[in-house]
Amino acid sequence: MATYVARNGIGENQRRVEDFRFLTGHGHYIDDMKLENQAYGMVLRSPEAHADIKSIDATEALALDGVLLVVTGEDWKAAGYGTIPTKSGVRKFKDGSDLKEPPHHAIAIDRVRYVGQPVALVVAESLDACRDAMELIEVDYESLPAVSHQSEAIKDGAPQIWDDIPNNICLDFELGDEDAQKKAFEDADHVITLELINNRVTATPIEPRGALADYDAESGKFTLWNASQNIHANRDTIADTVLKIGKENLHHIAPDVGGGFGGKNGVYPEPILILHAAREIKRPVKWVNDRSESFLSDTHGRDQVSTVQLALDNDGTFRGLRTETVGNLGAFCGTVGPFTPTGGSSRTQGGPFRFDGIYYTAIAPFTNTCPLDPYRGAGRPEGSYQMDRIIDYAAAKLGMDPIELRRKNLIPPSDLPMKSPMGLDIDCGNFPEVFEKTIEISDRAGFEKRKEASEAKGLKRGFGVCMYLECTGGGPKEEAKVTFRDDGKVELSVGTASTGMGHETVFAQLLSGHLGIAMEDVVFRQSDTDATDIGGGHGGSRGLEVGGSAVTQTSRQIIEVGKKIAAHRFDVDAGEIEFEEGRFHVPGTNHTMTIRDAIDSQNDPDSLPDDLEPGCMNISSVFERGIISIPNGGHACEVEVDPETGTVKVDGYWVVDDFGTIVNKMLADGQVMGGIAQGLGQALMENIHYDESGQLVTGSLMDYALPRADDMPRMVIDYYEDAPTEKNLLGVKGAGEAGCVGAPPAIVNAVCDALKEYGVHHIDMPLTPEKVWQAIRDAKAAG
Amino acid sequence: MPAITVRVNGLEVTKEVGARTLLSTFIREQLKLTGTHVGCDTSQCGACVVTLDGKTVKSCAVFAWEADGADIGTIEGLADGDNMHPMQEAFREHHGLQCGFCTPGMVMTAVSLVENNPDIDEDGIRHGLEGNICRCTGYQNIIDAVKTGAKAMRG
Repeated sequence: MATYVARNGIGENQRRVEDFRFLTGHGHYIDDMKLENQAYGMVLRSPEAHADIKSIDATEALALDGVLLVVTGEDWKAAGYGTIPTKSGVRKFKDGSDLKEPPHHAIAIDRVRYVGQPVALVVAESLDACRDAMELIEVDYESLPAVSHQSEAIKDGAPQIWDDIPNNICLDFELGDEDAQKKAFEDADHVITLELINNRVTATPIEPRGALADYDAESGKFTLWNASQNIHANRDTIADTVLKIGKENLHHIAPDVGGGFGGKNGVYPEPILILHAAREIKRPVKWVNDRSESFLSDTHGRDQVSTVQLALDNDGTFRGLRTETVGNLGAFCGTVGPFTPTGGSSRTQGGPFRFDGIYYTAIAPFTNTCPLDPYRGAGRPEGSYQMDRIIDYAAAKLGMDPIELRRKNLIPPSDLPMKSPMGLDIDCGNFPEVFEKTIEISDRAGFEKRKEASEAKGLKRGFGVCMYLECTGGGPKEEAKVTFRDDGKVELSVGTASTGMGHETVFAQLLSGHLGIAMEDVVFRQSDTDATDIGGGHGGSRGLEVGGSAVTQTSRQIIEVGKKIAAHRFDVDAGEIEFEEGRFHVPGTNHTMTIRDAIDSQNDPDSLPDDLEPGCMNISSVFERGIISIPNGGHACEVEVDPETGTVKVDGYWVVDDFGTIVNKMLADGQVMGGIAQGLGQALMENIHYDESGQLVTGSLMDYALPRADDMPRMVIDYYEDAPTEKNLLGVKGAGEAGCVGAPPAIVNAVCDALKEYGVHHIDMPLTPEKVWQAIRDAKAAG
Repeated sequence: MPAITVRVNGLEVTKEVGARTLLSTFIREQLKLTGTHVGCDTSQCGACVVTLDGKTVKSCAVFAWEADGADIGTIEGLADGDNMHPMQEAFREHHGLQCGFCTPGMVMTAVSLVENNPDIDEDGIRHGLEGNICRCTGYQNIIDAVKTGAKAMRG
């Protein structure tokens, strides 16, 4: 039965069209691909955090049966390839000098700078042959002193990762009005200071990164299938900047991608290495990371050490906020790496609260660790953690109620629209109402009773809230192209990249709703440089905001053309034609034409007015967002802590989000709940840990704990829908990252609330049983 | 290279396998049933769960030769053509999947949980899915799907 979607596709909990193939085992991921004559690539990675490569001897490996090629830094030097550039939006030091960008080659040349850095690529007939060959490659390393922690890296005398970069500092940064902040601090009754760590974590999509490269010697063209979230931009970088083959010679495609969360956004070395190899051996080459390699080589996220200061008066009025951050970058600049601790973390400082003055400053140094790049939220989770932790910490120190403190300081709707002290254009919303709704649905009123029940079991119950404000991001332009095919199908191509978010459904839903065509007739294409001219891929919760707006815009343009065709048929003025539920009609007459009729006429010149060409309904349009939107919301959670074991159980979770218009609540819920799980993971269990020598200690899923089904509470998700934004055509405020923006502070606040009677007011994430137990013991010992 | 004979989704096949070929590799590469996924190398993620003589196993933790003579069930064998198994239907209905990568293992485990305990409750489901990691959904919709799937399987 054909499914039609009403109300221009908005508000329908359409079930997903991609689910059938995923549920029946017919998803098409990179490792499911196999081309004729395909060879396999495997990367030999550095076991050293910092060392000179004295020599690499691959003679024995190359002699092994089935081994086709070994690529090293020497080949890279000979080929003269370019380096992988950073596209960081912040590129200047405070003093105006340029960001320090060391050369990032796809393979180590002469020196390694982190454990896991590619040192050689082995290409062979089979993966087993690759593994055997890797064992036989002899690399002579001369170890150098290493530094893995950012606070150590900036000290005088710290190991130098790059000879010409003093104190390893890539970039420093400031935003806000320091004079206003200082004055607010002087005027305020109290200044509360908290040092906190935003722990290093990794995206860990369940599908590891991988790619398949093919080269056609006759045409000189390459094809790269890549588990990537950013096909167009990365094509340009790989083809134009690194390999220098010209972007017209690289067809870049992502098949189904098994999760990304930012971890598949950047330009990585391995796909570049196999493109080189495919040209060398004139055969397709496939490489797929195993999970251990993923921990070593997928870019990491967060990893900021911050000092946060909140100035407030005796009556609880917030006056000023100052945050000083040192954000680890790893050994190289990630694709947008330097932006995260600087611009990315600064913009939402202050959250949805009133301040007289805010000042943010950051230093971003290199260390001998895997490069960092965006992970879901990229700076906004850090900002909300700082804001919502310092509120609760101040409340505990001053004997105030953290809920009342928030109530008192939330920006009222009457202040909107406004420019935030950090320059954000906050156009609409109702923070007090969102906050009250959060408190209401969480049954805060029944908390004391539940606390008593926990107490009777010897457990400590705590309640925590967070009132986050974030902003979207990512590429501001998106293309949506519609082609009506001869077989009756409607091909919809969008330059976004869904790695599980359901674009295939929601974009088809929008198109179906606008045009009145059946969902089943829509064939969706994404992440393919041949499908759209431009494409912003994934990132910054941009999909619906920019991609959905592009689909809406293209739909509207199609309808306008359809009206002209109908007007031509009925011999009336196009302005007289109305379009409703898939039909063009002239009001007050029997003149009706279905959209299918219009589509069928579009190739017949006789059916078209003079100003239309055959194929005129096949339209591509580019939507450009002017200003990013401001999602906001409240998170509340309850925890039970066992003081004897330090175990934390999250026992209830409530969210009210303002994402503007909700197009598909089922999908929005999914985004929020998945984000909360990642936030809970960061708050309670996930931690990428390097030892002082730069060795990765948490290199597998045995050591790096991901939330499992029985770690998660039941979550209640609600929305505030009365403030659609006018910044895009749908009124939406991106939903993808909010869950992990709000969850860490809400959970840590709840644990600290549970433990306040012991005098425990802060524990750095992750709040593992050991750390919680130790904090209780330390607090008791301190009396 | 020794040959093994197995029944896969009801069909008998005989193939030569290497001494270090994992069952997951055998299923994916030699049988070309790529619905069984590999997400880790420490038997933690559960994306590779299949049934072996009716019991769920992580196929990355079994050598192919160990399966000689066994009856193997993979995700491809669950639906009847275009008619999905009730558990698959329930996952779709409840949005119990996003990227789809953990999904085959998750569904295979869920079906087995319910077959072994038709009246399984929420705690039982959460505990029973401990060996399957999903990074997208936060699990709640998976739990709800398994409840609905269990109800449908009970008939």
